[in-house]
Amino acid sequence: MVEFSGFEMPLWYQGIVPECKAVRNSVGIFDTSHMGRALILGEDSTAFLNYVTTNDVAALEVGRAHYSVMCNQNGGIIDDFIVNKLAEKEYLVVPNAGNRDKDLSWLRKKAEGFNVEIRHISDEVSMFAVQGPNAQKVLQEMCDEDLSLIPRFGGRKVSLDAIKATVTRTGYTGEDGFEIFTWDSPVEEPSKAVTMWNAILDHGKSYHIQACGLGARDLLRLEAGMCLYGNDITESITPLQARLGFLVKLTKGEFIGREALAREKAEGIKKVRVGLKVLEAGIPRAECDILRDSQVLGKVTSGTFSPTVNQGIAMGYVPTEFSKIGEKVEIRIRAKNLQAVITRFPFYDALKYGWQRTQ
Amino acid sequence: MSDYEVPEGLYYTKEHEWVKLEGSNCRVGITDYAQKSLHEVVFVDLPKVSARIVRSQSLGSVESVKAVSDVFAPISGDVTEVNVKLADSPELVNQQPYGDGWIAVIKASNLEAELKNLLNAKSYADFLRTQMK
Repeated sequence: MVEFSGFEMPLWYQGIVPECKAVRNSVGIFDTSHMGRALILGEDSTAFLNYVTTNDVAALEVGRAHYSVMCNQNGGIIDDFIVNKLAEKEYLVVPNAGNRDKDLSWLRKKAEGFNVEIRHISDEVSMFAVQGPNAQKVLQEMCDEDLSLIPRFGGRKVSLDAIKATVTRTGYTGEDGFEIFTWDSPVEEPSKAVTMWNAILDHGKSYHIQACGLGARDLLRLEAGMCLYGNDITESITPLQARLGFLVKLTKGEFIGREALAREKAEGIKKVRVGLKVLEAGIPRAECDILRDSQVLGKVTSGTFSPTVNQGIAMGYVPTEFSKIGEKVEIRIRAKNLQAVITRFPFYDALKYGWQRTQ
Repeated sequence: MSDYEVPEGLYYTKEHEWVKLEGSNCRVGITDYAQKSLHEVVFVDLPKVSARIVRSQSLGSVESVKAVSDVFAPISGDVTEVNVKLADSPELVNQQPYGDGWIAVIKASNLEAELKNLLNAKSYADFLRTQMK
């Protein structure tokens, strides 16, 4: 068990490697109730969310979700999260665990002049993620509605073994899968959540479902090339630098950080987030230097050993001119400079693994 | 210490390395407690053969997905052999920490004096108990 953002959480149940393999090859379940949940309601909810986040909320249809970031005036990322449009004028935002309070106070501060209600429901709704190529099959056994009709980043209210929940086809592993919000399951009386967890494990038995801890969660997201807030993105990194430019809709109208981001885009982005594969034996870790001809280009922000590609992998920031795919660099790992190559995300073969797999 | 194996006849350090005397050579590895704490070992950084090693300095490292742990030299001397099998099968450290999961053999340069710094099986087991509390 480890302490994470104020929660006692398992780093692993069976082991990080078998848990990672279960998700890549079949199915795993994560308790992600440590994450934040907030409802944004009211007449101005769309306009408000469009003002505080960079993605275009007005373009979001009911029953759909999108990934987004919330920036400060300088374009620095306050948080990255998924915005779910549950109904007209009703949004569910899912901040990072460590940013719950920061996000809520920022949202409340910026809500002045908007007719919105911000309801913090983290402690009333449990959240699990069921991820992997067999995730849909497991949940389908518990549900009368056809889950295959839910598109990626779509969601709907369903009953899973007669427990009401909202399921969204989203996740943090790169695989197909769902996130399950069990309503009316407060931390003081979590019986619905416990029943849900056990029911999913039960239905998943024939697929060798594996309960997964934080270690596998971090590994899977890194293999998929997804950012971890606090490591890969912070308030001093902009979404353009983090290669999240697809979330920044500069033409949608005014939003916090727009001016700074438009200026950065016009002037040229100086440093960018890249994927790195180590070509020798060694495991890069956060804070390792990235070098070229013994000149430090930047630092690793996340690194690990990937059992899927059987290599050390990392992400970090380098000046834009060194960011081309295939560019050779070095990573200084424990006093040794190891050869590495700039690699595209995800790190694994997307034809064999991940939600787009064809095999 | 029923949770952790501590074989008799070996010497131990408080940093959880073991030493097996083979004449004036010392075979070195990490203990059962160390491998269980690290959990799944995915990489072992070995020293170079013929490297001159000073006691308590880093001999290499053992890494799991989440953690890196230095292996400190329990004894000074020259590295005469390293366990090359660990390059392809780092999991041997978990499977047989006192057997096929050994890390290096050191030809000791000051064995008699330095042995006094090491613990026997009973003292190490007692030390582990104090760590558990």
